Amino acid sequence: MQRLMEAAVPYTVYVNGRAHVVDADGSTPLLWVLRDRLSLTGTKFGCGIGVCGACTVHENDEAVRSCTLTLAAAAGKHYTTIEGLSADGAHPCQRAWIEEDVAQCGYCQPGMIMEAAALLRRTPSPDDQEIDRVLGTHICRCGTYTRLRAAIHRAAGVRA
Amino acid sequence: MTATRRDFLKAGAAVGGLALLFELPRVFTRERAAVFDPNAYLRIDQDGAVTLWVTHLEMGQGVRTVLPMILAEELDADWTRVRIEQASPGPRFSGIRLHTSGSDSSSDSYETLRHAAATAREMLISAAAARWHVPAAECRADQGAIVHVPTARRVDFGAVAGDAVHMPVPKDPPLKRVADYRILGRPMKRVDGPRIVTGAAEYGIDVRVPGMLFASIERAPRFGAAVARVDDSAARRVAGVRQVVTVSSGIHAGVAVVADDTWAAVRGRRALSIEWTAGLDPAFDSDVFLASLPGALDRASIKVRREGDADAAMRAAHRHYEATYVFPFEAHATMEPMNCTADVRADRAEIWAPTQTDVRTLAQIVRVTGLPEKAITLHCSMMGGGFGRRLFSDYAAEAAEVSRKAGAPVQVTWTREDDMRHGYFQPASAERFTAAIDGRGRVAALVHRTTHSDLTIYDIHEGRNIWSGRPRPAVASDEFERDEIPWGAFDNPYEWPALRVDGVDATSPVPTGPWRAVMYPSTIFGRESFIDEVAHLTGQDPIEFRLSILPRDVKQVGEYRIDRGRLARVLERARDRARWPAVSAAAPGRRSGRGIAANTYHAGSYLAMIADVSIADDLTDLRVDHITTVIDCGLALNPLGVLGQAESAITWGLSATLLGKIDFKGGAAVQSNYSDYHVMRIDRMPVLDTTIVESTSAPGGFGEHAVPLVAPAVANAVFAATGRRLRELPLRLSA
Repeated sequence: MQRLMEAAVPYTVYVNGRAHVVDADGSTPLLWVLRDRLSLTGTKFGCGIGVCGACTVHENDEAVRSCTLTLAAAAGKHYTTIEGLSADGAHPCQRAWIEEDVAQCGYCQPGMIMEAAALLRRTPSPDDQEIDRVLGTHICRCGTYTRLRAAIHRAAGVRA
Repeated sequence: MTATRRDFLKAGAAVGGLALLFELPRVFTRERAAVFDPNAYLRIDQDGAVTLWVTHLEMGQGVRTVLPMILAEELDADWTRVRIEQASPGPRFSGIRLHTSGSDSSSDSYETLRHAAATAREMLISAAAARWHVPAAECRADQGAIVHVPTARRVDFGAVAGDAVHMPVPKDPPLKRVADYRILGRPMKRVDGPRIVTGAAEYGIDVRVPGMLFASIERAPRFGAAVARVDDSAARRVAGVRQVVTVSSGIHAGVAVVADDTWAAVRGRRALSIEWTAGLDPAFDSDVFLASLPGALDRASIKVRREGDADAAMRAAHRHYEATYVFPFEAHATMEPMNCTADVRADRAEIWAPTQTDVRTLAQIVRVTGLPEKAITLHCSMMGGGFGRRLFSDYAAEAAEVSRKAGAPVQVTWTREDDMRHGYFQPASAERFTAAIDGRGRVAALVHRTTHSDLTIYDIHEGRNIWSGRPRPAVASDEFERDEIPWGAFDNPYEWPALRVDGVDATSPVPTGPWRAVMYPSTIFGRESFIDEVAHLTGQDPIEFRLSILPRDVKQVGEYRIDRGRLARVLERARDRARWPAVSAAAPGRRSGRGIAANTYHAGSYLAMIADVSIADDLTDLRVDHITTVIDCGLALNPLGVLGQAESAITWGLSATLLGKIDFKGGAAVQSNYSDYHVMRIDRMPVLDTTIVESTSAPGGFGEHAVPLVAPAVANAVFAATGRRLRELPLRLSA
């Protein structure tokens, strides 16, 4: 991993409160930096073109798709991944996800949780329409959507 | 058809089943006598910790939760103190196949696991009774302890574990009564939930090995195209690229770029210049193939099932009614794309594969590396979805080949485009039904002709080139009947005065393999749509018509004991639950309708489904608003899991019914990502009302059983709403 690369410029990205100097091509999507360079594998690869949401992380407090965000563009900015969402898995979304037994294979769920956490920060009590609008940009092939909706309402403190 | 193939098709795999019941692998070792390790499935340590091994593979269907529940129940363990371990192939599990298919993990393991845990429980009881000098009959297990009932003395499992090792192994230990269950039958949350929601769950794609490299493979752009020439000089100049190697052990030929990270590999791959040969069928067009399928049904057929003299009834019939239904090619599109990590050395190999099948994956690694199986360590990783795609191991074979050639541990990750275009697909198929109707409007005979495609991934696994241009071996005249296929055609559960089912081989150049519910999605779409058509034609209510041809008896069809009373009862429950036939009023400018479908999956589980749809008056904007499902899967071992799988299967069925299909043009898949292969998202989800029937029958499967009902229930509802009969998936109203 430490191999010198021609004309490579080290970039600094801040992930979960820590600075990381990454020596990789500036076109590398943040997703692959997280997964292959920083071994933060909780952020998942799903589509590579920003249409499934599995790779969702927070840039400051906003949900962004790390598969279409280049390292060059991410340099100097602060990101939170699923590993950094809470110290002990106790974020209201994580607790609600367990309570509603949302996950099946679970692969898309970190992205869903990061999206829902950002949504709840903006809109503390989203209605079904708002949940559809925001989470409708994500895909779960296991079809956990019914419980996903219930979990977001639960996390918002408003039972459906 | 090979023995292996029949093994899959028929027994879906009665893997790890009753054969093992009386020959549980014993692994206890005298030198660790303080630990009670009576068989492969469980171990009890001196501190009372109970370790339970999961002997199937997790892809979201919940085996890592429900299989330990079975063991803990029969052992009478304290659920809060059990430790759950994933089984991987190795000496401990010698003779146990972890292979996971056909929705049969929990139903198939039920007796085996109960027997294993009851054996251990009885030995613990014997040990405690010996210590107390009391009859074993006065003792029982209770939540991780043995209790002497008359004196209420209590000793923890751990305290007698060391003694239990020396107790005789009971041949036929008593099993708990279902009425005494306190773990099974109650809703249990997924044991992996906490690891999933924190990102700690490790899937195959998350495996990290010291010194590993990452690879991406450019595969043939058309069926059967081979590498004619590669210029990899530009690829090798990309920063981070280490090696470029050819690959030939997967479905398609390819060129792999091995690099320091996945992105460098992708960049290197983009810099490759490859000339490909034309391939076998560079003009293959799935529209042409689909259009040819109804005609293919006129070709010579072989027998699937016969009852009565359908031909005579057809000749004598007052009138005939006929309809043909078409099911397209479909992709699995699991959220975790195919990937595998391999470290192949001269004398050994270590493989980390998200796989549904230990057996086939090991066989592929043996084939590719030439190593004996005992030199291979296979770690079966958690899967980000399976749905049949990970039931074959082409992606593991490729990774092993790349690692062997690169001389380093390598993780091969498929891009989404690779995954959507270069995997194997659900075969397209057609179903034609003809009813003979007598003078009083009753069905006198049913004839069902079905196409059947061989799953060519079997050939690929055996190293055969399916695109060699050589003709395929003819299907043997008794093959379908012997294999009791196609599912849904062979095991038609209804009572017909005469029934004739014939099958026609319609294999295409498209690489094909199992997809969720395998053959049922096509046959049930046809059968349940056609029954609806006949009901309307003869002026009968579609549910009452079905009930009229479902005597409350047990019908033996081949190996299937179809309890038609259970099928009738789920139909009645669905009818009553949904207040059939009342249709809810449509919004202004829209019309609504409801449709029914029913099926039994291998006579183990019985389902009925009612779909409510609404459609704009101009026949646009078809929406499925509500789905009522009633499931009789026998004893529901984990009701929360059964409900989850039903919701999952319905969602899967909706994707195929409303949205997705894979087209082929020029010998290649047209769709490439979720941007053009559309699947269900939360904003299209109907309200799901799912009921599990209370049952003490043996546990049946449930992982995929709801899939095949969705398309006919929705299509029948569309007919009820519009009078338009849609006979091809995905459903399209606008002409």
